[in-house]
Amino acid sequence: MRLLIIEDEPGIAGFLKDGLEEEYFAVDIAYDGKSGLDMALINEYDLLIVDWMIPAMSGIEVCRQVRKAGSTVPILFLTAKDTLEDVVFGLDAGANDYIKKPFEFEELLARIRVQLRDKSRSDDALSAGSLNINPVTHQVFCGSTEITLTPKEFALLEYLVRNKDRVCTRSRIIEHVWDIHFDSDTSVIDVYITFLRRKLEAAGCGNIIQTIRGVGYIVREPGMS
Amino acid sequence: MSLRNRIAFYYTFMTAFLIALVFAIIYFTVERIVYRQFDDEIKNEVSEILSDAKISTHDFKGFASFQNQDIDAGDQDNDNDNDNESKKNKKINVDTEFIQLVDSTGQVVNKSTSLSWCVLAFNPNHTSKTAYFNSNFGGVMVRQAQVPLISSNGITQGYLIVAVPLKNAMIVLHDLQDIFFISFPVIILTLFILTRLIAGKSISPIEKVIATAEKMTQANLDQRIPLPFHYDELYRLSATFNALFDRMEDAFQREKHFTANASHELKTPLAIVKGTLEVLVRKPREREHYETRIQFCLKELNRMARLIDQLLMLARYESNKMNAHIETVALSPYIADVVERMQPSASTKDITIFVEHTGNARIAADSGMLDMMFENIISNAIKYSPSGSSIAIAVKNIANTIVCSISDQGIGIPEEKLHSIFERFYRVDESRNSSTGGFGLGLSIVKKLADIQHIKVKVTSGTNKGTTFSLTFPAGEING
Repeated sequence: MRLLIIEDEPGIAGFLKDGLEEEYFAVDIAYDGKSGLDMALINEYDLLIVDWMIPAMSGIEVCRQVRKAGSTVPILFLTAKDTLEDVVFGLDAGANDYIKKPFEFEELLARIRVQLRDKSRSDDALSAGSLNINPVTHQVFCGSTEITLTPKEFALLEYLVRNKDRVCTRSRIIEHVWDIHFDSDTSVIDVYITFLRRKLEAAGCGNIIQTIRGVGYIVREPGMS
Repeated sequence: MSLRNRIAFYYTFMTAFLIALVFAIIYFTVERIVYRQFDDEIKNEVSEILSDAKISTHDFKGFASFQNQDIDAGDQDNDNDNDNESKKNKKINVDTEFIQLVDSTGQVVNKSTSLSWCVLAFNPNHTSKTAYFNSNFGGVMVRQAQVPLISSNGITQGYLIVAVPLKNAMIVLHDLQDIFFISFPVIILTLFILTRLIAGKSISPIEKVIATAEKMTQANLDQRIPLPFHYDELYRLSATFNALFDRMEDAFQREKHFTANASHELKTPLAIVKGTLEVLVRKPREREHYETRIQFCLKELNRMARLIDQLLMLARYESNKMNAHIETVALSPYIADVVERMQPSASTKDITIFVEHTGNARIAADSGMLDMMFENIISNAIKYSPSGSSIAIAVKNIANTIVCSISDQGIGIPEEKLHSIFERFYRVDESRNSSTGGFGLGLSIVKKLADIQHIKVKVTSGTNKGTTFSLTFPAGEING
């Protein structure tokens, strides 16, 4: 999952990046509204975290422009403005949720998970066949066997399972699992796929990840292929 | 009682009084004219009778010759019935005149036949002059004249009383009275209703003022009173209220901005420290990682402490609990002290501070407050000046006042933003980024302190032209 943080306070952006990366998110930071908007429109993010009072363009404006461009990406407002009118104004501008500073990091994580949750499901759990992923605890089970994964492996698997039955192109995988500082060499994906397949095989979840030659990868419910 | 009722009541009351007065004057004038006409008529009649009967009022020879004489006036159309009984029962002819002779005691000596069985009233008080008065006999209102008949030796021997009926005149006067008594309440009532309507209409803008003022709450300060069409007192009242509302809205807005800014400035470092520490304790980490994060948090906390200090200081000055201890300060050694204190922070940016011609001027100021002002201005100058530039402090004596100027060669302040720089939390660089260090409170404090000490602060600047702050001290003792 790849997030964009638009926040001019380096202190806040810094610990958010630290904390969210530890939660297996790929995190980009923009320090002002204009570059934030550009990044949000060019790259494909799974969620935006936007501060209200930022230079060049206010968070509200960024939010409006993103919505105007037709994007439905979840937007989390993060701001010190705390009056009822501010909350309503922010949400009306197109934000999906609103967190007041200072906030609990755990609460922020929970709210991010709510926004990323599959619309048709009420809980956070992801599954494909006998494979179960818990994005809250970052645990992966094959049946009852727990599989230990590295953060990158987990993020890759989570992305594939979230988009199961859809082909995930290499470039999309790179966009959603790796952050902006990653160079364009996509062969690293193949390396991680190999690691993942090996670990899944060992736990008995076999060929859940299939290769679409020249395009990318797909996770299918067993029996549907 | 509401204002419109009070206006209507006062107005009606005054008008009622005036109308009553006018009515009374008209009535009594008409009455007088009528009576005078009658009196003239009677006078003619009297002189006619006197000449007919050859009576002199000043040389009266007694009643002897009149005992049986018919004294009916020659021009009357009275039917001359000699039957006394029938005369008694006959209705009094009211269209004629009545004549009666009485002696000095009021005893009837002779009377005209028109009087029938009645006698005219005799008033014994008018003995020497002809008197005119109203009286009434047998249900007939008459105007009568009582002419004293005086003998040659000056003794009043009797009286000639002549009367004419008042019937028509009385009808006129009665009608007049009726008209007055009926029309008066109608006029007054109509007037009251109309006045109340007009008063209500003319003060209706006041109702609008009240309604608007009542609707005004902190949440909707944008309400304004619609201005009346005519430029009058109510227009001015509405305009004055609107101006007041403008100022109120402005004050509330500024307060709201201040609160929003203060909460942003306080919450940001709090959020940074809280978040950093929360992320830090989620997982075990290397010692070095802990150290850098804790150092970072301490830096943020220090910044927050500085902000709280400044906010409290502003709050204290603003509530005017802080009194300046004005004393005489020798400016030259004082500036030297300040410059020495600021030298380390200037040196880190390789900035030189020049002090020019300080002379030995002495000023009246609170040295503690003056410290803070100089520190704020000079640290601003250092903050916004490029490395290697210089800051000049000069003292001048202009028209017996001492002006201290602090000039830098920094980035300057755009002219259109100059007027805002003393506002709390105002920063020329609008992104409230903490990396430039300030909160935008320094110059507010400078201004506040200057106001307390009656020091005038002037700023001249322009983009990339550097900035000059001039402090004009109140005229104090100047030695040299």
